[in-house]
Amino acid sequence: MTRGRWLLALLALAFAASWVVPGFMAEQHLPNPDLTMRLAPPSEMPPFGADDRGRPLLDYALQGAGVVGIPALVAGLLVALLGITGGLLATVGGGRIEGVVAAAGELVGALPRMMVVLVVALLVPRDARGLMPIALTWALLAAPGAMDEAAAVASRLGGARFVEALRAHGFSRSRILLYHVVGLNLRPVVVRQGAETMMQVVFLEIALSYLAIAERQGSFTHSDDTHSWASLLDLGYKVVLDLPSWHALGLGLGLIALVAVTAVTASAAARAR
Amino acid sequence: MAADGARQWWIRPAIRLGAAALLPVVVPAVITGLIWVLPGDPASLICPPEICSGTEELARRWNLHDGPVHFFMSWLADAAGGDFGKSWRIQQGSPVTPLLLTAIPHTAALVGLSLMMLFAGALGAATRVLPARADSLLSAIGLVPTVVMSLAAAAAVSVNYGASAFGDEAVRVKILLGALALGLADSALAGAARGVRGIFESERQRRYVQMGVLRGEGVLSNAWPNAAPAIAGQMRARTLHLLSGAVVVEVVLQIEGLGDLLWSGTLSQDFGVVLAATFGFALLSGALLLAQAAVEIAVALHVRRAPSVVAT
Amino acid sequence: MSMTRNWKRLTMGALVGLSALATCGSTLSFYEESLPTTLNPLYAASMVDHRVNELVFDRLYYHDPITNELASRLVTQWELVEQGKAVRLTLRKDIKWQDGKNFRADDVCFTVRAMLDPGTTSPIAEGYRSVFTGCEVEGKDKAIVRFTKIFHNPLNRLGFYVLPQHRFDGDAVPPDHDFSSHPTGTGPTSGNLGSKQVNFQGTQNGHHQPTITELSLLEGQDPLVQVKTLLNNGVQGIIAVPPPYRAEVSTSDDMSLKGYDLRSWWFIAADQTKPYLKDKKVRQAINLLLDRTDLRQLSIGVKPGEQNSPCEFISGPFVQASPYYNHDVPVSARSDKDRALALLTEAGLTDVGGRWHYNGAPITLRIGMKAALDNEAPDLLSQIGNQLGQAGFDRQTYKLSEDEWNTQAITGQLSSSYDLLIGKWSFGLVEDVNALFHTRRDGRGSKNIFNYSNPQVDALLAQYESAKTDTQARDAYHKLHTMLAEDLPYLFLWKLDTKSAWRTDVRGTTIAPYYYWTEIDNWKYGG
Repeated sequence: MTRGRWLLALLALAFAASWVVPGFMAEQHLPNPDLTMRLAPPSEMPPFGADDRGRPLLDYALQGAGVVGIPALVAGLLVALLGITGGLLATVGGGRIEGVVAAAGELVGALPRMMVVLVVALLVPRDARGLMPIALTWALLAAPGAMDEAAAVASRLGGARFVEALRAHGFSRSRILLYHVVGLNLRPVVVRQGAETMMQVVFLEIALSYLAIAERQGSFTHSDDTHSWASLLDLGYKVVLDLPSWHALGLGLGLIALVAVTAVTASAAARAR
Repeated sequence: MAADGARQWWIRPAIRLGAAALLPVVVPAVITGLIWVLPGDPASLICPPEICSGTEELARRWNLHDGPVHFFMSWLADAAGGDFGKSWRIQQGSPVTPLLLTAIPHTAALVGLSLMMLFAGALGAATRVLPARADSLLSAIGLVPTVVMSLAAAAAVSVNYGASAFGDEAVRVKILLGALALGLADSALAGAARGVRGIFESERQRRYVQMGVLRGEGVLSNAWPNAAPAIAGQMRARTLHLLSGAVVVEVVLQIEGLGDLLWSGTLSQDFGVVLAATFGFALLSGALLLAQAAVEIAVALHVRRAPSVVAT
Repeated sequence: MSMTRNWKRLTMGALVGLSALATCGSTLSFYEESLPTTLNPLYAASMVDHRVNELVFDRLYYHDPITNELASRLVTQWELVEQGKAVRLTLRKDIKWQDGKNFRADDVCFTVRAMLDPGTTSPIAEGYRSVFTGCEVEGKDKAIVRFTKIFHNPLNRLGFYVLPQHRFDGDAVPPDHDFSSHPTGTGPTSGNLGSKQVNFQGTQNGHHQPTITELSLLEGQDPLVQVKTLLNNGVQGIIAVPPPYRAEVSTSDDMSLKGYDLRSWWFIAADQTKPYLKDKKVRQAINLLLDRTDLRQLSIGVKPGEQNSPCEFISGPFVQASPYYNHDVPVSARSDKDRALALLTEAGLTDVGGRWHYNGAPITLRIGMKAALDNEAPDLLSQIGNQLGQAGFDRQTYKLSEDEWNTQAITGQLSSSYDLLIGKWSFGLVEDVNALFHTRRDGRGSKNIFNYSNPQVDALLAQYESAKTDTQARDAYHKLHTMLAEDLPYLFLWKLDTKSAWRTDVRGTTIAPYYYWTEIDNWKYGG
């Protein structure tokens, strides 16, 4: 790997760690309010200021990270793995399996994802509420696209002929598949798809949680004890109502940007030569 | 290989046509199955026995007394005649069809306007009217999630229109703002422009296009038959993405659309509404599949009618 | 920043001006706590439902909100007949239903029959089955309503809404009838339930001449959005302004805060079927662990010692101003951790590593609260959880939707899901708590959240029901107060005043206790 690619990969890891790892440090419950610190800016209550009840926004950031971190990563990995599978199937000439996968992909990919997610949410019992089932559903819905794209890349390589050609050069089958096909050619596609899925799951959680806040309902994605990053946006958008909650808006948007930058950096690292 | 590919051109469109036909039946069937999978008597979802002691009578009135197959077949037969049953919880006892008739035009307007933005962007990218350097800006804007863009619009509409937020003018404003949010957020416009640009730039490099240009023909007129299936696929995916995002936009902006109906139905476990809303989405998805299949078939027939030229 | 703010103010000012012009003589809009669950008065579950019913229907008898005297807009004459076991009512002849059909005695008797019909699966109807035996029509405008026994205040039993016979096929009124969304009444306005709002049209009638021709009920969103919209004249009223926002409303010259006499009190219901809550010492200990003063200060914003506080602690199931409140039962305003610790130890709980255990297993309290209450008392749920957590109880907190509360909590279905449920009860002038505490049996105890059962309490409730005088009723309820304060099926928190906000250009705003809209005919807006 070139130095640039290493650097980008490390950066991507660092970005990911910055919003996944803190989730493990989140307390289950927010502390009691301190009304004297209501909407305190970061200068008065570092590092992120306080909400409209005087509680640190840091706690919201940590809890939100705990909600999205692992499910988003798992969803991204699942899509990447399934993408690799699609690419390998095209390489080894999956034939009928490929056809079945393509047909299943057409059916699965035919519906708006949010509709499927909401139907899944209907089924999850209240006590089992969490982002993981929804993240896995989203990943399965995104997988056909990833598999298609990876299969297209593998087909452009030449599929089975590519493998035969490299075998003639003395490389083992497993090395060809793992290194030449996956490592060198499928990597940019599957990493990008995985990173995008990870980002989409985070954004999906924020959207679902915000909708629940707006409807004064419990969220599908986390227990009522916990706060999502959507709470930051719910507080932050009230700047249009003259509430001095710019710091909440900034933190919310900043966290979203951090996730987006993670995805972009990871994709760039995978593409770099 | 090329001959094999030519002989197998019909497989994908056939799959899509089959999916288009199956979806409006399979989706409600799955939802019906879910009703019986949930714990408890389905009639208790309408009214719990602690409140409504006549659960058997209730089940008979709502056609829930004879199992999921009977319920589904009755529902399907009624739906074919335009009767989508009654709301179980949201407006208990009221027919769902008027709710659908209110919702579909709003969703159609919302998604339609967003699609127009996407088509304009795609056309601009294909014809290079939209320069490539605009992609970065669109991508940066596209990183903003739909919910964030909808939020500010919702607050402003609510404060300024207040009670009139459900009047005609406010609804139009909300649909416009919602369409803007849908089109720009989540890389919708950026993805459409980038995707189409990629396809056409790739086709531009091909010799047949360059030969056509030398003959005095346009790039688009030469490239579109090859590009059309891929573009149709992309646009179908984008439309599905917009339909997905419409749920968020409609709820945040309080637009009475299909997505809002589905959300309310899910929250209240109103399966009468959920069935109708998912059926609506399945019909739309089926229509998109049909459109894509039609494009693929048209292009394949066009190619088959064209004179054979040996590639060099 | 200042340019942006100036631009915003200019735009808002222009829009306010335009809206003010636009609203002259037009729709009166207001925010409610939520959309109604139904427009059928027999199935009214929430306070919103009850208030909306008052707009669309008429009660046979009601209490005048100003004089408190019993009055009727439908009945011109009444007399006791059949040795006091029935009343003959003579009805007005000039009243029409909102669809134009004439209001007749048939409709009164139909309503009574509907409530008696077992096919009408309404808890409200069920309550009337112990009151009425039937109804007979005498001509077009006379109805004889028969009671199960002689009541010393029979007209007080006729406070039900009258329904139109011609809208139903039989006597049974099921909850899923289209009437629930598209009702027909004789009230001052007609209304239809929408998915986002409810629109009402003023209806001129022999007994109603409302000057406001259109009303629009909107579901209240974030309280800040509600108040800002009211300030901008986007709506003209808010039915219930949460305490944290009352100061902003009261300082505005364009709006005024009005008292809404709703005898509501807040509580935490405890599930006594749970082994670790069965012993009343544990419930008493939890009661002592709660610091109500801190809870009130941090959630509602009332400081200790504040004069004219809108929030008053209670020790039983009545507000302090009620004649039924037993002032001899003290309130627990502050926590008493030492006494609580002693009680928990006596009850057999053990402290292991700072966490309470029962029979060797750690106790995790599942605490739920109706989500809508978060507007009035922000963070109450998490604060109660924190206080119990600091005292050594693990906890999980949940917010319940309106639907869950009405269909599951009130019907006693949540025993397996929760240990403690935080809620609020509201009463009109008749503070009948029997449905809350009676053993759930034979139609009684219909609102008994955790199916509490105590024969002594049942006996006191029966004593109240059979009381012939106000003194007897009061004595029964005083004893009930004492007993419940000891047994603690509920931990009683406080009574919180409800205030509405109306713009000053809405005039004549007489707000009736509980029902709110009884005097809407005299309200004026615009023009």
